[in-house]
Amino acid sequence: MMRLVALVERPMFRLFLVGLVALGLQTTVLNDLRPFGVILQIMLVLAASSGLARGSEVGAIAGFLVGFMYDLVLTTPLGIGATVFAIAGYLAGFANSFVHEPTWWSRMLLGGVASAVGTLLMPLALAMVGIEGALTTRVVVIVGVVAVSNAVLCVPFEKLCRWILKDPEVVPI
Amino acid sequence: MGSSFTRRRVIALLVLTSVLLVTLDMRGSSSVSFVRRSFGTIFRPVEGVVRVVTEPAGNVWHGITDYNDLVDENRRLRDLVGRQEGAAIANIATVREAQELLALNGLPTLAGIDSCTTQVVGESPSNFSQTVEINRGRNCGIRVGMPVLNAAGLIGKVTEVFNDRAVVMLITDPAYSLSVKIVNQPVTATTVPSETEILVGDSTTTTSSTTTTSTTTTTTTTLPAIPGFVPGSTVPVQSTAAIPTIPGDTTPGQGNETQVTVPPGADLPLRETGALEGRGLGKTPIVRFIEFQPRFGQIAVGSPIISAGGATSLAPPDIVIGVVSRVVTRQGSLGPILEVDLAASLQSLNFVRVLLYRPATERQSP
Repeated sequence: MMRLVALVERPMFRLFLVGLVALGLQTTVLNDLRPFGVILQIMLVLAASSGLARGSEVGAIAGFLVGFMYDLVLTTPLGIGATVFAIAGYLAGFANSFVHEPTWWSRMLLGGVASAVGTLLMPLALAMVGIEGALTTRVVVIVGVVAVSNAVLCVPFEKLCRWILKDPEVVPI
Repeated sequence: MGSSFTRRRVIALLVLTSVLLVTLDMRGSSSVSFVRRSFGTIFRPVEGVVRVVTEPAGNVWHGITDYNDLVDENRRLRDLVGRQEGAAIANIATVREAQELLALNGLPTLAGIDSCTTQVVGESPSNFSQTVEINRGRNCGIRVGMPVLNAAGLIGKVTEVFNDRAVVMLITDPAYSLSVKIVNQPVTATTVPSETEILVGDSTTTTSSTTTTSTTTTTTTTLPAIPGFVPGSTVPVQSTAAIPTIPGDTTPGQGNETQVTVPPGADLPLRETGALEGRGLGKTPIVRFIEFQPRFGQIAVGSPIISAGGATSLAPPDIVIGVVSRVVTRQGSLGPILEVDLAASLQSLNFVRVLLYRPATERQSP
């Protein structure tokens, strides 16, 4: 039992559990809604918000884990989503480190920009590994919708990621 | 967390891992398939729970955004059903006759291929690939590459198979490609209708026989009402007009009464092969690499497109795909590019049928 508690206290395991639920939302309800014909990317929000909450390194690792989980349910090559989401997480954290006193709107802005970059990188990465057809003019619409929606979602998700990725408490002996 | 790692080490490690994963997956590593399967086992129950919980939210959203479209579509579909009910009866008879002819000549038909009926349970959550997931897999006999149809026509092919589920790549996916045939109807000139009589069973119905002013002659039989018609039964046609028949099929001692009536050879629909390719979400697939032959003539908008089949094709011949919606001509000897209006609506897939078909080159000898 103590081991289970210790496991749940590990940030990456918590991220895995939350990622499972987020992936469930991604493949069900978000897959259905499609505003302007675009699927909102909640997994990308999770990656960018991790960077905003805990900095670029943690953002990159968290983005990689979240992207890897996303890759496992897609038919695209494994590792593409992980790489792109890691870049998005890193970028969000790195850009946030330059902001003197981050506010809710600066986080929204950075989250939106990181998501836009991530969304743009995905078809580029697919084209690089030889999967054609993803890089079309429609990407502009997808980037726009995903950036705006993720910017809005970044604020609550950043708080969620602060809790998920907090370091385990050291109990004094 | 991760304090022991320097920034460079973290980035280098992630990049190396990514490259390794992509390489393994692109080379078709079995370990990647194992990881996907294992994760699927953990994730499916979670997804099921989330689906049940979030379904009302999805319904509310669709209720708000799609209501007007739904009403319009419902009205349009009612009109369509009304128009097609009559045509369907005549088509059933034609299909049965065609199947009998194919069977008589020992040719393969779709009716002779086993299939597995299944339900679409999910769609790809990505904006860049068009796949759906079905709830039957290897246990039902489904294998990678098998064609998937709904009631209207071809929708895609199986690309991944698990024990009790499979992933279907839709026909619109940029990676999809299939050999197809375009059936070009010969163009008829101005027609002068002349009425003849054809006896159907005990009743007499009117048919219009049209004679073209050009060298071609087309005979069209329209049966607006078929009292006592039984689908599948052979309709004996007593020819009182100059309708060409197969001489060998006339039954001796019954005068002009014949079982099979065919149009003249020059008026048979002409077929040409090409390659169908998907172009991504929101774009119609296209057919290219059509061999241009003068006999084939101009391809008409509305010409049917069906699968070509063949020893190496993953789909059997004569599966309905759609009709030509636009013809884009190209300069020089390049053939035209055809845009395809798919028969199947990929936006509202529910029950689909996987044809358990494997091309002759992939079948293992007993």
